[in-house]
Amino acid sequence: MTNKLISLLLAAIFTFATAALAEPAAPMDAASAMADAVSAEAAESASRQEFRSLDQDVQSLKKEVLDLNRDLFLLEEELLFPANSQVAFFISMDVGEYFDLDSVSLKIDGKEVANYLYTARETDALIRGGVHRLHMANLKTGDHELIAIFSGKGPHVRDYRRGATLSFDKGIGAKYVELEITDRVKKQQPEFVIREWE
Amino acid sequence: MPSGCSPVRCLCLLLALSALTPSAQAADDGRDPIVVKDPHYGEVLFYFYQEDYFPAIVRVLAAKERQQLDDHADDAELLLGGMYLSYGHHLEAAEIFERLLADNVAPDIRDRTWFFLAKIWYQRGYLDRSKEALGFIQSELPKNMQREALMLEAQILIDDGEYDTAIEKLQRWEGETEWASYAKFNIGVALVRLGRIDEAARLLDELGNLDPFNEELTSLRDKANLALGYALLQDGQALAAKEPLQRIRLEGPFSNKALLGVGWADAESESYERALVPWMELQGRDLLDPAVQESMLAIPYALAKLDSISQAADHYLNAIEAFYEETSRLDRTIQRIESGEFFDEFIQDDPLDSTGWYWHLEELPEGPEARYLFHLLAKHEFHEGLKNYRDLSYLYRNLDRWQQNVDVYANMLETRKEAYNERLPRVQDALARADLEGMVNRKLEYDSTLNNIEESNDWLALATKSEFEMWGEITGLESTPALQADIIEAEEVADKIKLLKGVLQWDLERDFRERLWRVRRDLRQTGEALVETQRLRRQIDESMRLELLKFEELNGRVSGLAPRIEGTKMRLEDALSKQRVFLQSIAIGELRAQKQRLDRYTIQARFALAAIYDIAATVGEVSE
Repeated sequence: MTNKLISLLLAAIFTFATAALAEPAAPMDAASAMADAVSAEAAESASRQEFRSLDQDVQSLKKEVLDLNRDLFLLEEELLFPANSQVAFFISMDVGEYFDLDSVSLKIDGKEVANYLYTARETDALIRGGVHRLHMANLKTGDHELIAIFSGKGPHVRDYRRGATLSFDKGIGAKYVELEITDRVKKQQPEFVIREWE
Repeated sequence: MPSGCSPVRCLCLLLALSALTPSAQAADDGRDPIVVKDPHYGEVLFYFYQEDYFPAIVRVLAAKERQQLDDHADDAELLLGGMYLSYGHHLEAAEIFERLLADNVAPDIRDRTWFFLAKIWYQRGYLDRSKEALGFIQSELPKNMQREALMLEAQILIDDGEYDTAIEKLQRWEGETEWASYAKFNIGVALVRLGRIDEAARLLDELGNLDPFNEELTSLRDKANLALGYALLQDGQALAAKEPLQRIRLEGPFSNKALLGVGWADAESESYERALVPWMELQGRDLLDPAVQESMLAIPYALAKLDSISQAADHYLNAIEAFYEETSRLDRTIQRIESGEFFDEFIQDDPLDSTGWYWHLEELPEGPEARYLFHLLAKHEFHEGLKNYRDLSYLYRNLDRWQQNVDVYANMLETRKEAYNERLPRVQDALARADLEGMVNRKLEYDSTLNNIEESNDWLALATKSEFEMWGEITGLESTPALQADIIEAEEVADKIKLLKGVLQWDLERDFRERLWRVRRDLRQTGEALVETQRLRRQIDESMRLELLKFEELNGRVSGLAPRIEGTKMRLEDALSKQRVFLQSIAIGELRAQKQRLDRYTIQARFALAAIYDIAATVGEVSE
């Protein structure tokens, strides 16, 4: 009984120490440890093959769904915001030392169209160089006025609320407006700049 | 394996450093920040930095399709490769790297990327690709990676059964690091497999005596001691086996097997009383562990050897009962897994807020199967399969949402088309009323008339209405018969008329050039307005023509996407079902193996119990 048991456990113990194989394995049948170890390896190899085949299917499906999402994303945008009337408003941030962003509110031609509260994770993404598409709108060609109100913590962790305005001309074709929060080092104050992209 | 960042996290970090230099980060390390030149690229980064890889990838693909990333084309492509990896889309990622890494990236980053890819592929069971990726490494990796790469190479050789070559590779190991300990262990195990016990024992003993400075090394030391102990036990060196086995921690993951082994070492030396001490320690431990199950048979075996027959019988009865209960639990779990309920509930309870490689099961689902799942999750294929199952569910739910949206879009398009068709006749009517061509002709006529006026210096043609009327009156008076009378008054009036006519003519001739210029200017402006009107008209005509085409094009896309979604959903359902069957087969296979072992132990216990009853009966008969 002893030898049988030892053989059984040996097969379980002699697994190799790598990340992939560092987990404790279950013991195998005890008739012949080496024979069982070989058959277990064969089973493991078959299981690995099956996993690989399924994984390849999953890979191909991931590609298919991503392509579908791309097409649907484009379709949705073209349907809801046709290029000739589309205006997109982006928020970006420089280092952010003098301003800790909480929320941004947008008014277009006197009408509030967006009021967005940022999570810490989103603010961090903005500081690291991300740009958030805050709002998409359909606007007629001609002159429009944008008012953006930024709320957050300013220098010395005080509540800070600032507005920025922009009068812009919407021509034919999509228009992108970027609202950038930057640090003005000399004044140790944040600065809010609005830029237009064509 | 020494801890560190996961391959994917490391690779993403690497790519983030090479492809992107976010301002804050750049400011920290003194490099010039890369200015995001395109808000669409910035938008991708916004999701990337939040580790929301799926929306980030979709945005890169969409922006690429619209050619909105021209200023960041290379960065975006490399970033896409990194995000594909994070999302678990490693084959697509590899294609990008193979294309980009050749000449667009610094050699050290390229080599490290291949190294990480090799690791990922090894973990996913793509051993051939892993080997290939290691082959792409051209220059020297940093020392720690070099060691890990060698380890990986050796591991692939071991998986292929090439133990000798693996030993040869690992023996060339340089330096005393954590990796060296792992290498020693692997060499030791390979030597045991080749039957070279003495060589193996030296290495494992060395490892078993090391002074670990972290949990991983402590665990490796336990593992080496366990391997050595059992190798010696099998080699018939029971006494020698005790020392390494007793070096194993009492509360570590290998303690159950160690306690069992120590007991067997004592039993081999016929010290059954001593053997009972570690075996009894196993009594209160989790019955899922085979060592604990074995101890339930080992204890009565030792008791029987010590002639405590009745106690042995009690322990055998306890073991039979415990095995029965465990078997019943296993049956219920197998049934639940077979029904598919388990995986359905698992996915329903899971928020699916992240996908891909980063995901790890943080909390086991409640229920009787949780204790078995814990063991199953340690199986590599099961864990990776569960990730795939989860990702497939995410994709299915994603398409489910889009399917509803697409229905709304189809309705929206239909409504827009109806509104367009309703307005169109009114617009066409208004357009038909506006005789643009007639206006243009009239303008041309005016041009011609004005040219004639200029050529003939027809100053009267540019007179105002009142001047013209006045001119008419004067010329009318001029021809009055009374003025022909030969009287002085008539002559005076005729002179006055002549004077008036002369003044008027003088005025008209004087203003002729200016009036001509004004009329020409007005005509030119009219012409410009007419051109603009014609342009707008053409634009309206074009819009009307294009709107119909646009409707058709969008309609075609919407109606083309609907079956694509449906077809992909069906494939996803199929893949989900296959993945579930795969997971079920691993889980059930594992549970059935446990059940079979318990059945075998039950038979052994019953047989031993019957033997005890026989002995007892025989002793009874003899004493009578």
